[in-house]
Amino acid sequence: MTRLASRPGLQARLRRLAALVLAVGIIGLAAVPGAARAAGAPAEPKVRVDLLSEVGAVAPGATFWVGLRQRIAPGWHTYWINPGDSGEPATIEWTLPRGFQAGPVAWPHPHRIPLGVAMGYGYEDEVVLPVPITAPAGLPPGTRVTLEGRASWVVCEKICIPEEALVALTLPVGPAAPDPSGAPVVARARRAVPLPSPWPASFAASRDTVTLTVAAPGLAAERIAEVWFYPLRWGAIEHAAAQTVEVTARGITLRTARGAAREAAEAPIDGVLVITERLEGGPSSQAFALRVTRADGAAALAGPLGLWQVLVLALAGGLVLNLMPCVLPILSVKALALARQGSGAGATTLRWHGVAYTAGVLASFAILAGVLIALRAGGEQIGWGFQLQSPWFVTLLAYVLFAMALVLSGLLSIGGRLAGLGHGLAARGGYAGSFFTGALATVAATPCTAPFMGVAVGFAVTQPWSTALLVFEALGLGLALPYLLLSLVPAWRRLLPRPGAWMERLEQLLAFPLYASVAWLVWVLSQQAGPPGVAAVLAGLLLIAFAAWLHATSRAARLPWRRAAGAGAALAVLLALAPLPLLSVGAPAPGLGAGEAEGGVAWEPFSTKRLAELRAEGRPVFVNFTAAWCITCLVNERVALRSPAVARAFADKRVAYLKGDWTRRDPQITRVLDAFGRSGVPLYLMYPGTGGPAAGGEPAVLPQILTEGTIVEAVDKS
Amino acid sequence: MDQLTRRSFLARTGAGALAAGAAGAALVTPRPAGAAAKVGEPAPAFTAASTSGGSVSLADQRGKIVVLEWTNHDCPYVRKHYESRNMQGLQKEATGQGIVWLSVISSAPGTQGHVSPGQANDLTTKRGAGPTAVLLDPTGAVGKMYGATNTPHMYVIDKAGMLMYAGAIDDRPTSRQSDVPGANNYVRAALQAVSAGQPVKTPATRAYGCTVKYA
Repeated sequence: MTRLASRPGLQARLRRLAALVLAVGIIGLAAVPGAARAAGAPAEPKVRVDLLSEVGAVAPGATFWVGLRQRIAPGWHTYWINPGDSGEPATIEWTLPRGFQAGPVAWPHPHRIPLGVAMGYGYEDEVVLPVPITAPAGLPPGTRVTLEGRASWVVCEKICIPEEALVALTLPVGPAAPDPSGAPVVARARRAVPLPSPWPASFAASRDTVTLTVAAPGLAAERIAEVWFYPLRWGAIEHAAAQTVEVTARGITLRTARGAAREAAEAPIDGVLVITERLEGGPSSQAFALRVTRADGAAALAGPLGLWQVLVLALAGGLVLNLMPCVLPILSVKALALARQGSGAGATTLRWHGVAYTAGVLASFAILAGVLIALRAGGEQIGWGFQLQSPWFVTLLAYVLFAMALVLSGLLSIGGRLAGLGHGLAARGGYAGSFFTGALATVAATPCTAPFMGVAVGFAVTQPWSTALLVFEALGLGLALPYLLLSLVPAWRRLLPRPGAWMERLEQLLAFPLYASVAWLVWVLSQQAGPPGVAAVLAGLLLIAFAAWLHATSRAARLPWRRAAGAGAALAVLLALAPLPLLSVGAPAPGLGAGEAEGGVAWEPFSTKRLAELRAEGRPVFVNFTAAWCITCLVNERVALRSPAVARAFADKRVAYLKGDWTRRDPQITRVLDAFGRSGVPLYLMYPGTGGPAAGGEPAVLPQILTEGTIVEAVDKS
Repeated sequence: MDQLTRRSFLARTGAGALAAGAAGAALVTPRPAGAAAKVGEPAPAFTAASTSGGSVSLADQRGKIVVLEWTNHDCPYVRKHYESRNMQGLQKEATGQGIVWLSVISSAPGTQGHVSPGQANDLTTKRGAGPTAVLLDPTGAVGKMYGATNTPHMYVIDKAGMLMYAGAIDDRPTSRQSDVPGANNYVRAALQAVSAGQPVKTPATRAYGCTVKYA
């Protein structure tokens, strides 16, 4: 070095050369592709990726699943297909051997990642993204194939770093066999992919909110820890807004803030509904792919702006109620009384009569709304449905309408004590009389306007109680309006026709729309309860008619006959009401018939006797305890129990399949659950047969989250 | 009897009216929290400090078209548009037509993108950017008023102060510079429509980019 240092020119040149080399080196490093780093970012990637396969060998022509596993540094996250308010989902560019095809990523359901005022949808810790790969039919056996891909993604904590990596997997070609390490991982990942929703869903959008309604009856609200809806695209709902969820006997209602996209109210919203259920082993999330279409009708008018439209509609509806067969007779009687009074009493008195009548109607509607709201609140606990979807409600309505039609036909007269209560009150003079006429009109209006009121009721039960009350009051106002106007405007009274025989004929004519309503209700019941339900309601109507006849013919008879007839009529009515509790069971549990095949696996209903019989035969038995409200059970059945691989495994080893439905808390099943230390469903048991390795031993308890693999494994071990 | 019934009747109607009134009052449903500026409504007014000293107020820009650009110079998505000169080109085009371009930095102190006025001016010069002013919003008040979630997040306000566009700068939500040339630039389209007095074809899109580093 001494010799070199003594040459000043060379020294300078060397220094310049060193600087040049350094500069080139720095530029070169910065230009390395794939090193797109934010200023000051660490060199170590935040996500380690590798490719797993569910099969150990590729069979020609077969489709198998591979999984891109992302192991994410703590505190960091990657994104779902809809990343939320920021970020990008991972993409994979495949380089596959000729003839191979890769399908799109099957995205497991995401988690919420709050990012300050924004919200991301993605994954933390670890996620496996399954991808289906199809091998060509003409693959020569004995060779090896290499699947390569370039995965790129964005990983964020407080800042975001785009990263990418090359992944590769080499597999032999041969008969399909599961890969012992990869198969369970890929199966678990596929288990988290949303299932097509078994329930229909609709939405209603107002200026600021979107309300989703999922018609999932029979869910148990206390089992559900959380529900969240992840839209597939931006714009329909605000990602960061809170979602208010209500689980009722009819299903799930979810309210959230509307998104910024202009067409948010029109187009169907695609998304994933994630329901987290409380199981004994801890919470378990099940995901369902939903296509939510816009609801039409009254439910679509939710929200402050739509409220006025709803109220106007309710008012119009109330006006129409006046024409209903039950109300019109009462009204016409009262109106005629008004006409008669018109000549006598002063205008002010008549006006007050009109107001009293309106007050009676409004008060009665308020009570009706209150009862409905209380029933809805209470019904959620009991599991009722207070609408035309309940068979018992439909039957009761049919009976009431039939009785009213009989009254109008003149075959049944509400005389005696009953008259004293209803008409007597209405017949009282003065304002009280008008008030009670209003109440009577409401009561009479309620049953026979049920199909119409059903819309109002259906709308009202989805709204907060204040809206429901207002809707009902608007309805009542519409009902009271004609009489009120008649009483307020003297001139119109002159338009009322004079009483005569036509009144009686009109009443008899008006009975027929009521009979038609009864016929329609019987049809509704046939859809809900089938032929047995129709037989029950027809028999009930017959009994009601018989009771009416007994009551009518005995009115003129002597007291002992009247008492006997009265008792007979009461008995007939009781008999008619008897089948109602049985009809209240509601929607039958899915597939209660024995031997019904579920995608190839035939099953029998569970009973301890049958279990003992099958075990005595030496067959392995798979027991599935489920319930209509158990969401995890539903997903397990769809994902695992209906697969052809499971059917084959069951057939090969002659495994018997017993299904125990615990929806109605069958005590036999409860005892078995207790024996295994469980207080709820799901519970899956595999009783070994006599031919297997675990012959005659204790049954194996399968995990609560089932995959195809776990069942096949359990079958093998039995 | 008449007096009795009148009193009781009045009591009943009075109670009914009270119930209805209470119901009506309870009906006022508040607007969901976090509802940001909406397209088609007046853009929220604000005043913010400019990097050249002094402050800029939106109200003073009435009569001119205004573009708001939320930015963070370290964000890969912002860098995509600045390193490809896409953003600078758009800024020059706009300011050349008398449009006011305000770049807003809502990063909180200590977070990515937070700069002092001097540093911001340096960046503007170094990158050859051409905004009318660069505004500092370290508390995030202006950002939250507009619901700015990402950088870059773009807003176009017309001469009457109505918000006409909110969302992404273009339709390629990546951080790759190669995606700039073929992209459909929503801001350019919105400016053309607003200048011509026509409705904006795509008034709201999902903004892409890094999240705004609010306090």
